Amino acid sequence: MTKQIKIVFALIVLVLGVYFGYNYMYQDHRNIESEVAVVSISAAELVTFFNENNSEKVLNKTVQVSGKITEIDANNITLDDQVQCNFDSILNNLKINESITIKGRCIGFDELFEVAKIDQSSIIK
Amino acid sequence: MKKLMFFTVLLFFILSSVNAQEKFITKSGTINFEASVPSFEEVKANHNSVSAILKSNGEFASLALVKGFRFKVALMEEHFNENYIESSTYPKATFKGKIKGFNISELSDLDKEYIVTGTVNMHGVDKNIETKAYLKKEGSIIYLTTNFILKPEDFQIEIPKVVSSKIAEEINVSASFELKGKS
Repeated sequence: MTKQIKIVFALIVLVLGVYFGYNYMYQDHRNIESEVAVVSISAAELVTFFNENNSEKVLNKTVQVSGKITEIDANNITLDDQVQCNFDSILNNLKINESITIKGRCIGFDELFEVAKIDQSSIIK
Repeated sequence: MKKLMFFTVLLFFILSSVNAQEKFITKSGTINFEASVPSFEEVKANHNSVSAILKSNGEFASLALVKGFRFKVALMEEHFNENYIESSTYPKATFKGKIKGFNISELSDLDKEYIVTGTVNMHGVDKNIETKAYLKKEGSIIYLTTNFILKPEDFQIEIPKVVSSKIAEEINVSASFELKGKS
């Protein structure tokens, strides 16, 4: 190999290394909205996963949950008093008692208020 | 007249017992923490669905689902959850304590400083802390803000040597809660 080829080769390796290294370091966040939900259930059913110590099936997973809106806050709603869904944006056009289906990432069960919590929610219907 | 007295006293007791049960709650409090080291990538996360309950006797409890902490860099969030805080095994971070000398009637729309003592539990480890908190009340809403420092080593969280220079030893935590009255 001539010296020139060696330099070109080293440069290519370096560029590829930087490219893949950078992509690894700064990979994108999960896009919950575009992920397929692992379960599509009611608010009460989501809570049973935590009561039955089955939480690993839904924890950190994308879930689709249906229920009636029982509480509306600035950036979250509560379904059937059992599941709190947090949105990344401010909510409007939602009404108490409206039936709704949302998709989001289940982050766990909150014993203080006895609600399962979901973040990065998006409205399905 | 005696009857009137009796009813006034009775009313007083009913009112005071109602008052005693009064609590202030939120399900969307925020906690931010930062462990950045100058000239390295910022290590910072925020959580905006933290639950908290403040009782009128000054008892305060808060719970954050650890997976709800969001970082700017996705890989950092993954490492935080999987390698450091181990959020699948320890999904919750909690605080339980008391605001010293808390008296709801002393609150105004100006921040008042209080001392809070209690126990932080995370990564399965309890740690007693004492910190300052600032409280004010507007209408039926109590605003509570606080800042304190936590150390990963106190919670048996090991930071590998390779990255330890990029993560501060003292982690600055700030929390703020908008607690709504509920009887």
